[in-house]
Amino acid sequence: MASGEQLSLESTGRREKVFFNFYTRRKLLGIIFILPTILFLAVFIVYPVVSNLVLSFTNAKLVKPEFNFVGFENYIKLFSNKMFLKYSWNTVVWTVFSVAGQLVLGLALAVLINRQIRGGTFLRSFLLIPYVVPAVVIALITKWIFNGDYGIASKWLQDFGWIDYKQSPLAMFGGAMAVMIVINIWRSYPFPMLIYWAALKGINQEIYEAADVDGASKLQSFWYITLPQLRNTTIVLIILRIVWTATYFDLIWMVTGGGPAGSTTHLPIMIYQSSFGTFQIGYASAISILLGIVLFICIFYYVRKSGDFAD
Amino acid sequence: MRNSFQLNNSKMVKKIALALVTLLCVAIVGFPLLWMALSSLKPPTELFKSPPSIFPSHISFEWYREAFSDTTVLHYFANSFLVATGTTILVIIMATLGAYSLTRFRYFGRKAITMAVLSAYCIPPIMLMIPLYRIVATLNLNSSLFGVIIGHTTVTFPFAIWLLISFFRSIPREIEEAALVNGASDFVVFYKIILPLCIPGVLSTGILVFILSWNEYLLSSVLISQDTMKTLTVGLANYISSTEINWGVIMALGTATTIPIVIMFSAIQKYFVEGLTAGSVKG
Repeated sequence: MASGEQLSLESTGRREKVFFNFYTRRKLLGIIFILPTILFLAVFIVYPVVSNLVLSFTNAKLVKPEFNFVGFENYIKLFSNKMFLKYSWNTVVWTVFSVAGQLVLGLALAVLINRQIRGGTFLRSFLLIPYVVPAVVIALITKWIFNGDYGIASKWLQDFGWIDYKQSPLAMFGGAMAVMIVINIWRSYPFPMLIYWAALKGINQEIYEAADVDGASKLQSFWYITLPQLRNTTIVLIILRIVWTATYFDLIWMVTGGGPAGSTTHLPIMIYQSSFGTFQIGYASAISILLGIVLFICIFYYVRKSGDFAD
Repeated sequence: MRNSFQLNNSKMVKKIALALVTLLCVAIVGFPLLWMALSSLKPPTELFKSPPSIFPSHISFEWYREAFSDTTVLHYFANSFLVATGTTILVIIMATLGAYSLTRFRYFGRKAITMAVLSAYCIPPIMLMIPLYRIVATLNLNSSLFGVIIGHTTVTFPFAIWLLISFFRSIPREIEEAALVNGASDFVVFYKIILPLCIPGVLSTGILVFILSWNEYLLSSVLISQDTMKTLTVGLANYISSTEINWGVIMALGTATTIPIVIMFSAIQKYFVEGLTAGSVKG
């Protein structure tokens, strides 16, 4: 607090008493305001995470309240399950291509909206729309345009000769995952676009002017100035997007349900199926924890990197 | 003279190329949504034509009429609205107080709590799903909308408080300090000074929470067992996974679900962009 405040508060005897309690009172008020947050986080975030960990060492079932501790049995069962390996690999493919795609597209569009053009604000607003389109709507559009009989995108692919007449890529082994990744990139580029755009605005324009004077081309400027300046932003974005993409359940589930023949099943779908398909929540928790360990490392790194804003 | 003309010419080419790229982007982003809207307006005979025609020969609201004559659909809309409103109120009350406390007061553990909020923001719903299901089942809330409201509050609260922290930071501290110096109490400062200044931020965060809740699928599907209590996203997801899909009705419902969201988002988009770019990611 400013020192001027002390002066004004000390000037009258009556206020001196108030000043005596000032810091304590403010501290107390601050704690009262934060209490709901702490309680909520404790009950609905911390407890669930701990509970997941505990459940992963039990044979708990969704429908039965009682359970026993079984040690590492769930984890052993997982690692001896060949499908776990396959689904993990699907998760990696899904995550790597989705994240790479949305970052590249996000950066390209950020460069586009960063230019001073007429209708720039409108363009930015328009390009943000996919951010708020419900996943279920994206899912139903995907099913419609890739429908084998009436879908317009399937029709185009059929005309190109890439797939057979009346066929849908969603019914094909590689095709389904490819379509899901493309759709996911369409859904999720706005966030990287926005963050990159903010970062682009933050780059000192004088560097570009200096480079221009030295005869650097636009492409050279981009490669040697823009990209290095965006390095930290990119690292943070990669971490955040890996966490969100690797655990993203809704879209694939609603479009393919993990099929055909498990070719689009990734770990979140495996967790869901173990919980609500076979009711083995102990087993499902073990998958959660394994997925979580990888992600917690990412989260920890992100919070360390992004959290030291504190004033 | 000639030189400057050439320069103009190449500038022109660049401008046209840029415009084309921009148009292409707009087309790619807009196409799926436009296609859904167009499909929903096609008369039944045209919807299943092969090859499909781009524009309907005449606009027909037949699918909308069919979709909204079903009372279950009206239930879904009402449930989604109630859940999103409840979630928004709950989240905004807690998050405004929390963010105000974290940005304006000093006490032991403040930084740790800020970090915890940021970490919570990264914890995915799929990892909270089973424990939340158990909590809601223990509290016997799985046959009411309160269970879903709890679930949605859990997944939107960290994001909301995070956005609000960045809004509060952007308001100069000197204003309140001046008021405090002049003898205003903390509550007066909060209600008379901070809150009015924050109304745009709080309101837009609220609308964003509403949108996120309206769109949420996973927890909504898990935390509700009764059909009449289902939200719109769960209802729609059931429609598209059934074997006999009524495409026209689905397209109409999809369009009706999306339009209010896009309008709301357009209204708050400016604050959303400011909030997100100011606070959430710092390189």
